[in-house]
Amino acid sequence: MTVKEFFKSNAFKSLAVLICIVLVAGLLLAIFNDLLYISDEERLNRTLSSIYGKEVTAEPVELTQEQKEYTYGSVNAVYHIVDDGNYLFQTTGTGGFSDGNGTVTLWTVIACTGTWEEGNLELTGIEKVVYDSNEGQTYIANLTDRFYNFFAENDDLLVSGGYFEAVSGGTGDLNNVATGASESSNAACNAVNVALACFRTVFMGGEA
Amino acid sequence: MNAGKYGKIAYDGLITNNATFKLVLGTCATLGMSTSAVNSFGMGLSVTVVLLLSNVIISLLRKVIPNTVRIPAFIVIIATMVTLLRMVLEKYIPDLYDAMGVFLPLIVVNCVILGRAEAFASKNPVLDSAVDGVATGLGLTFALTVIGIIREFLGSGSFFGMQVMDFRIGFFTNAAGAFFVYGICIALFVLITNQVDKARRARHARMLRVPSHDEPLPSPDAPDAAAAANTTDGEVK
Repeated sequence: MTVKEFFKSNAFKSLAVLICIVLVAGLLLAIFNDLLYISDEERLNRTLSSIYGKEVTAEPVELTQEQKEYTYGSVNAVYHIVDDGNYLFQTTGTGGFSDGNGTVTLWTVIACTGTWEEGNLELTGIEKVVYDSNEGQTYIANLTDRFYNFFAENDDLLVSGGYFEAVSGGTGDLNNVATGASESSNAACNAVNVALACFRTVFMGGEA
Repeated sequence: MNAGKYGKIAYDGLITNNATFKLVLGTCATLGMSTSAVNSFGMGLSVTVVLLLSNVIISLLRKVIPNTVRIPAFIVIIATMVTLLRMVLEKYIPDLYDAMGVFLPLIVVNCVILGRAEAFASKNPVLDSAVDGVATGLGLTFALTVIGIIREFLGSGSFFGMQVMDFRIGFFTNAAGAFFVYGICIALFVLITNQVDKARRARHARMLRVPSHDEPLPSPDAPDAAAAANTTDGEVK
């Protein structure tokens, strides 16, 4: 087949049409990607609205890498909520399903009094815990509202330094485990514990 | 003439060839998304939009796309439309975007869309393809919403998110419950459409058999009379 014959063949026509369609589709997607871009700020505002049910103002808090890493998880982001003075943590807890490698990421609102700048912050409890995402947690749907609400119902024990455990029938008062999802519960408890540990060590200047 | 043609295309998409209840297409999304009426309705409308856009574009390009590469070309067009829809939903309706989760990108491989592109849009003019896309999409939306309403009511005791009953039967929120409701809906839909079709045919046969008083009796050579001669007891032989 000569070059001339190739350019007149059906194979070339098919290829050319397909390439044209792909190029136009790519161009269209690129234009719309720009037009419908969602900034990080907009994403944060949406998350805040879903957590608080209204629009609130939040200031990001910068932490060092060392302050973000903990034995059972890590802190992804921290925000100071200007409206009520509380702190919002996005944390990822490890120890979930799939040989302990699965993770659960949660948003935790830590209620407090005082200010970080004045060095008189005191933890008064957890206001709310909201699910964000997970990795490999097949039974995450078993973690119902009741499970997440439990974190906000034990302020007295948190003030005295307690942490949550996903142990069924354990001796502690902060045992929180969802039926049929004990490993996902473990990762979720770890995520909340990371937020508590970070607040107690970094913000309150105590020991985890 | 045209109204009749478009009416028939619409009737086919909505009832005669209902993608969910008659052709049993797009079952993955049907079972996965029908846990609540709102999600089902949202999924149905999303598929309708993609069907409309992809049918129109494929119909416009039907004389340009060579037969040998038509399937890859259709898939690229459908995938582009789905990606655009994802962007729009994420920007303007984030709640629905979150609720649809993995089923939104999976619209690309929904056999209803590729099926209509291959069977209708690639062979018919633009307006016909647009009507077919909307009708098929609305037929699917209707079917999904019905299944979603039943599953939500029995599984969660609510109707479009509003709590109306205290009871809940967990079975209906599971995959097994989805199959059960789907099967029952298909059976009822086929039963109803068959009864309607039967009644319509019987009425048609009666009209052919009994001429009105003002009209003279048809001659034995007329085609209508031949058809009438082939009918007994309202059934067409």
